[in-house]
Amino acid sequence: MKKTPSTAFRRVLSIVGVLIVAFVPLQFASPVVVNPPLTKEISAPEEVTRILKQSCYDCHSNASNPRWYGRIAPVSFLVAHNISEGRARLNFSEWDKNPPVVQELLLWEIVNAIEQGKMPLNSYCMLHSGSRVSASDLAILKKYVNTLPGRHKVDTARIIRPATLASRPANEKLSRIPVSINGVPYYPDYKNWKIISITDKYDGGSMRVVYANDIMYNAIKSKKMPFPDGSKMVKAVWGKQQQDSDGIVRPGNFQNVQIMVKDSRKYAATEGWGFAKFDGLGLKPYGKTAIFDRTCINCHRLLAPGSDFVFNVPTK
Amino acid sequence: MLKIISYTLSAALLLGSCRQKKNAELAPEYLYEVKDQKPICSLIDNKKGNILMLYGNNVALQAANDSLVKQVPGAHYTLVTWKQKQMPGWYGTNMNGGIYSVETLQVSQVGTQPFRADYGFKPGEVYSSLNTKFDRDQRIRFIIEQRAAILP
Ligand code: HEC
Ligand code: HEC
Repeated sequence: MKKTPSTAFRRVLSIVGVLIVAFVPLQFASPVVVNPPLTKEISAPEEVTRILKQSCYDCHSNASNPRWYGRIAPVSFLVAHNISEGRARLNFSEWDKNPPVVQELLLWEIVNAIEQGKMPLNSYCMLHSGSRVSASDLAILKKYVNTLPGRHKVDTARIIRPATLASRPANEKLSRIPVSINGVPYYPDYKNWKIISITDKYDGGSMRVVYANDIMYNAIKSKKMPFPDGSKMVKAVWGKQQQDSDGIVRPGNFQNVQIMVKDSRKYAATEGWGFAKFDGLGLKPYGKTAIFDRTCINCHRLLAPGSDFVFNVPTK
Repeated sequence: MLKIISYTLSAALLLGSCRQKKNAELAPEYLYEVKDQKPICSLIDNKKGNILMLYGNNVALQAANDSLVKQVPGAHYTLVTWKQKQMPGWYGTNMNGGIYSVETLQVSQVGTQPFRADYGFKPGEVYSSLNTKFDRDQRIRFIIEQRAAILP
């Protein structure tokens, strides 16, 4: 049946009517943004905090100041959602809740989020002209993170070897395979896998090697992304020894291994990747609760969405 | 209800924004596969802006795990060198870019000067011979000197 113009018009009218009727009571349900007390604000040079206050504080601090239109429903729901999510991820007003190493990592993440145009959120930039971080301000932030203590960290400690290393073949089975609290196990056979990446992570003074199993390696070889289920990566991390007179830096103490395994059903909540980290020569599973992996994927999702959330793949 | 409203709105705003997901192009030509050898250690060369991976057969790996530097007959090594490049997704990490060179070493006899060893050098795509003075014995010593990185 063909609709006559008048029924279509009546439809539109009734929709508008419903919207108006809904709009007013919606205001009573509209969330009010509360600013909790500042426990310990980030301390950084004024030129740095100026940028953060100008572009990030509305969502990442306890000094949020939504504009008038941000206080009216339904926009207020989105604003409140962004603020609670933003604060939960990083909060410049409660900065000391993070251990110093995490604070440094967050600052590097901030530089990267801005450099990739991920932050401030686009929806926010559209409404708040002047909140986008300029190239010169980004340069100030970059200069600042390069002065942080981790930037030139050198591993000067005596290198600790596992007691049995010399007498043990590299691929010998461990007596007990450690398992992460979210169920992702350690894969001792990674030493026989192929290497896809070698890195100098100078932001925190470590060097790394990333191993991939055959499924992952072959997918890279045949340029297949997203990576298929069964893909696995193990990243081994060492401190960096003092550079020698020829400019060569060698691996220092072993720090940890980090793992990603693809199972798009089992790990659907984390983009199909299972995450695990095992610390020290004892391979102590990292993470207090099974959802520790949300912090892992949050950073990988924000900054590596174009390579199936993996940083260490060879790309053009 | 409130959740539904805010999610719909978020979705609408996200779709409406200019945030795009562009996919990276994989570059398997930067990979270098060393057959029948195991990783010994990675190295960073800050003077040349390179990053290296040393591999060896079981004899070489065992020798590199020893705290004393020594040449062991039957030790085979491969030293792969890449130009460093900034990791695309992360300012703060440099990774292997184009292949700079591949060196191979097979130690045959010990205790003789100069070393009795087969040494091979293959320039990679991005090799530059400018201002590198090349000393074969020194390269051999460099390879043999590296200790294995510690792994649990
Ligand atoms: C309009 C609100 C808003 C503004 C303004 C904003 N952010 Fe965010 N930010 C969010 C939300 C929401 C998330 C979590 C969802 C996401 O990742 O998209 C987030 C996530 C992040 C993360 C990821 C943290 C993690 O979990 O790993 C970083 C880093 C970040 N923001 C940095 C910044 C910086 C730096 C600025 C200022 C230049 C900024 N943000 C401005 C809302 C905002
Ligand atoms: C603040 C951002 C951030 C967080 C949080 C994070 N990662 Fe990563 N991850 C990176 C970066 C950057 C790289 C690449 C740099 C490097 O490893 O040298 C990486 C690389 C990796 C790799 C190698 C494969 C790849 O994607 O390149 C694994 C495995 C990994 N991370 C596991 C984890 C695990 C497990 C956690 C949580 C316990 C975690 N990550 C948390 C940023 C992060």
